[in-house]
Amino acid sequence: MSTLPPMVLVAPRPLRRPSSLAAAVPAGGEVLALLRGDATERPSFDPGLAGGLRAWLEDAAYGVVAHRGDLAPPLVLGPREVLGTAPGGLGGMTVDGRAADGWAADGLAPVAGGGVGVPDEVVVARLVHALFRRLVTDGDIDDPLRDALDALRAEGSSGTRTSAHVESMSEPARSVLGAVVARHVAHLVDLVPRFAPGWMPRTDDRVAIPLAGGRVVLHGVFDLLVGLPQAGTASLCALGLSTGGSWARERRSLHYLALLETLRSGTPPFRLALLETASGRYGIEDVRADHLRALASHLAAWLAGVARDRPDGGEAKVPCG
Amino acid sequence: MGEGLTTALIAPPDAPVPLDTAAWSATLEEVRGALARLAVRRAGAGPFRVTDHDVRRALGGENAPAGDEPFAWSARTARRTIGLAAVRALLAGDARTPHEAVRARLADSDRAVREGSRTVSPLDRWAASLPAAGRSTVAAEAVTWATRLWCALDWTALGPTPVIGRDHWWDSPHSALLALRGRADVRTGLAHLVVLSGPRRDSVRSELALVALVESLRARDSAAPGPVVGWWPDSGHLVRVEPHPTVLTLATDAVAHVLAGGPVARAAA
Repeated sequence: MSTLPPMVLVAPRPLRRPSSLAAAVPAGGEVLALLRGDATERPSFDPGLAGGLRAWLEDAAYGVVAHRGDLAPPLVLGPREVLGTAPGGLGGMTVDGRAADGWAADGLAPVAGGGVGVPDEVVVARLVHALFRRLVTDGDIDDPLRDALDALRAEGSSGTRTSAHVESMSEPARSVLGAVVARHVAHLVDLVPRFAPGWMPRTDDRVAIPLAGGRVVLHGVFDLLVGLPQAGTASLCALGLSTGGSWARERRSLHYLALLETLRSGTPPFRLALLETASGRYGIEDVRADHLRALASHLAAWLAGVARDRPDGGEAKVPCG
Repeated sequence: MGEGLTTALIAPPDAPVPLDTAAWSATLEEVRGALARLAVRRAGAGPFRVTDHDVRRALGGENAPAGDEPFAWSARTARRTIGLAAVRALLAGDARTPHEAVRARLADSDRAVREGSRTVSPLDRWAASLPAAGRSTVAAEAVTWATRLWCALDWTALGPTPVIGRDHWWDSPHSALLALRGRADVRTGLAHLVVLSGPRRDSVRSELALVALVESLRARDSAAPGPVVGWWPDSGHLVRVEPHPTVLTLATDAVAHVLAGGPVARAAA
């Protein structure tokens, strides 16, 4: 049963509220109301769904192992590899400092000549993501750039490298970066709901699903999960943050995470929200079994591509349900 | 997820035949002898202690954690300590949510440092020195860690007083220089839960067996300990190590392997 239509784009706030009165109402309230929805109507899932999806993926993973050999190192796959997610969603980056999916642990890509190339969008994504965690945890942000750098330094070595990189920038470059981050933060503050602690909000919840005895690992990170897990019931909401990139790809990344949660706990989150801080737009939708099957089909095809000697995997396109 | 983990903690030992207590006692004596020989052999080599982390580094193969970087406090290295304090507060009814409990723990750090308490820890000093946004990152990481553990268990089914996050040490009676650590995050009267991180690995049974070995060596009556359950929150997977004489041998072999490796046998701080 679906209580919300497929995710549709909600226009950026400035386009939707010409009056100052409307501007006083933060979008976060709407996001929260849509996430909560009607508590009496939750999508139900076939209890056998998770087992079926796992069996499907295990078959595909064993094909990869048969091709690569038992002694090959584990194939660790994030959304960047299997979906081609751009760094704006940070979906392919782990929070534990491992460069599991091809990015350096601090998001700074090495370039020829031994230097460090800095994809601006990666730096912005990391800064905005750090501020998102602060907003969820503390409910406020003081000075966006300073807060983001302080937060990254506390993360550990990878965050420290990112903050050191920003600090090494020229003053004009830092000013430009600060202005960009401030624009994202304006939308962030507007979009992110204030979750009551009783909703158990937790940021950077990592999921890693081993297949084929751990020779293939699918991993990802929920930017935010809320809700209390209940056995056999879809009771979680997941919220994803995007600082740029394709809306469709970011949405697909959320579906990918929903699939991983299904494999981890037996049930997916029942509702997903995607917030885009570059524009202020957002979308909320129910998770449907179709989403999960489409992603599993894509992953199985992708793994079959690896097994056929295609290092970039199989199909590039996936239906978005 | 919670149902399965709780069941793994409260289920009786799963073995085809009941534990042979005579075989258990005999193996425990053999193990005590082996550890005594290891301690004597190492005498003069400086103090050393063996932890699950050492076992993983020695036996983890390609999944062994890198050991090059010196320890430094970060949101990641602090999350377990703060998260366990939070779960303890939740269980005691001193806090209603992980967020509130973590906040209280960090406030305790501030207070201890400000008042110059004698019990102030390096973690307290580090956390208290952070700017507000840095503390927020530490809190966020600990809230996630604590929430996953708090929500994963049916606490009412675990008995009256689960013990949260108390490491147990066994000090060799043959040498003051050898000590083994058994790390468990939740201990009930029946079992021990270890929250695991990193990939699934072959060494995990040895890591968990070390917990069982330490419990066995500390037991006054040489009784077999309860099962040791390892749980990966990232994947929801469980590993349960049942009390069996082979578990003692497995752990002792791992200790010998760690000590033989030299570089992975860390000097005690």
